[in-house]
Amino acid sequence: MATLVRVDDLRKEFGDVRALAGVSFSVDAGEWIAIMGPSGSGKTTLINILGGLDMPTAGQAVVDGVDVARLDEAGLTRFRAQKIGFVFQQFHLVPYLTALENVMLAQYFHSTTDEKEAQHALERVGLGDRVEHLPGALSGGEQQRVAVARALINHPKLILADEPTGNLDEANEETVIQLFKELHQEGHTILMVTHDPSIGNLADRRIEFAHGRLVKVTPSNDASRNAYR
Amino acid sequence: MFWRLLWKLLRGSGGRLAVAILSLVSCAMVVSALLNLEFDIERKLTQEFRMLGANILVSPSDAQISGSGAAEVMSENEVSAAIAALKEPAVVAASPFLYVVANTEKTPVVVAGTKLEELSKLEPAWKIDGDWKSSRESAASCLVGRNVARQLQLVVGSPLRLTYLNENAQFTVAGIVDAGGAEDNQIFVGLAEAQSLATLPGKISVAQLSVSGTSNSISNYAARLATALPVYEVRPVRQITEAEGDLLSRIRLLIVSMVILILVLTALCVLGTMAALAMERRQDVGLMKALGGSIGRIVTLFMAEVGVLGAAGGFVGAILGVELSRWMGQRVFGTAISSRWEIFPLTIVLMVAVALAGALPLRLLGKVKPAVIFRGE
Repeated sequence: MATLVRVDDLRKEFGDVRALAGVSFSVDAGEWIAIMGPSGSGKTTLINILGGLDMPTAGQAVVDGVDVARLDEAGLTRFRAQKIGFVFQQFHLVPYLTALENVMLAQYFHSTTDEKEAQHALERVGLGDRVEHLPGALSGGEQQRVAVARALINHPKLILADEPTGNLDEANEETVIQLFKELHQEGHTILMVTHDPSIGNLADRRIEFAHGRLVKVTPSNDASRNAYR
Repeated sequence: MFWRLLWKLLRGSGGRLAVAILSLVSCAMVVSALLNLEFDIERKLTQEFRMLGANILVSPSDAQISGSGAAEVMSENEVSAAIAALKEPAVVAASPFLYVVANTEKTPVVVAGTKLEELSKLEPAWKIDGDWKSSRESAASCLVGRNVARQLQLVVGSPLRLTYLNENAQFTVAGIVDAGGAEDNQIFVGLAEAQSLATLPGKISVAQLSVSGTSNSISNYAARLATALPVYEVRPVRQITEAEGDLLSRIRLLIVSMVILILVLTALCVLGTMAALAMERRQDVGLMKALGGSIGRIVTLFMAEVGVLGAAGGFVGAILGVELSRWMGQRVFGTAISSRWEIFPLTIVLMVAVALAGALPLRLLGKVKPAVIFRGE
């Protein structure tokens, strides 16, 4: 498998606070990586840097051959539109746009909109009958599925999910995780921040952080994958 | 998708934007009414000043207009032909006058022979107790100044005999004039009758003209008339023409100052609303940037929203402003102010500019960092 993500001695400081203290690892295309660790260990900072939302203080973060640290504002905008699909814990849907329009918004910023394709993406996540609903009229699980459809609509190289099930009840969590399983089986590369070890076990590898450092990498096996509820 | 987003943005922030659009509509209404007034003020003011009577006098050189005799006179035909030859600007009224000091049975009195049908146009502010019509139509009718009527105990319908040297003429009082000036001491008869009484056929003492236009155009007209009548003295009545020009400048300055003040105040009102809206939209902008939205594209979207607000506010306000200017015209001038089509695009452009100026806080959204927003800072 080709390497899609390469992180080399990545550092990020917020004033006196060291969020990442020299992290190095790589991710192959098609891999599902679970990033785990306590709060404040640097997981979200890593996701933000890999997604071009934040700039590292030092080191390299190369995604699909692009060193994020070397991009200017316009370059980062293009990078996010073309290579990254985000799924956030808080869903982050635009409240006055329908489910369909939220998906089309990502298309609009990427290139051109295609309503049929956006509708198909929502059907794929089981929301074919909810396309015209506003986020406020959708359950948490449904909103997160809209966010997944939005993340996939531009065929990104890398899906970055920051605790995507953190705000969901058990039933909705299961639906969303099933969706990620399918995406993984289809060959998508996923980096997912999670606190839940059973979800972490579903990934190909678990990368554990503490105090801004990578402390442990654990490959999953079939037994651990089957342990998910 | 741009227009779809724009529509949703407008609908999504309806409450907040309602405040902005209300101030824009109010501003547009007052501004368009004032601009309408500004465009029409010259015409309206000219009409008002024509109520004050003649603004150009033609007289014999060095003549005493209210002298006791008719020693210095002009040729009626010569003056009338010169006036008729000058077409622009429009002459509202031109009255030749022949003044004679005649005698009634009791006392001498100033008799002004003139074209009575022109007198009502020349002096529209005069109050007439009686019948204008009969005085115009009957050569034997006359108008009597209020003071003369009181002194000679004349009423409408009274007979009046005038004597000048060996000539005499019999008239019937058709109306009592209340001019509020020297004319209240005069008797107005037909020009031909006065010329006959004074045995000065075809002669006049003075010509009074009421010419429409600005003070400059009136002065210009007087100069052209003076060129056509080199042997006579032609002069604008400076008190009226200068007062008109001065008042026009002051009113225009007042209107322009008010328009600027209103535009600035509205921009500040929109600014306040948009600052609050910008705070509300930080989350949306952070998300749009995370999805790959460029600063230019996002800010353009919000600016277009503000532009639409400005245009809509300007359009609605301009319509209301036309009604407001009509009402103002009725209240101030007694007639509606004519609406000008230029007011619509001008008001809309001004409102879009004001809305965009008030939307400066939205430009700050370009500086939003998605990671900072998502951290909840």
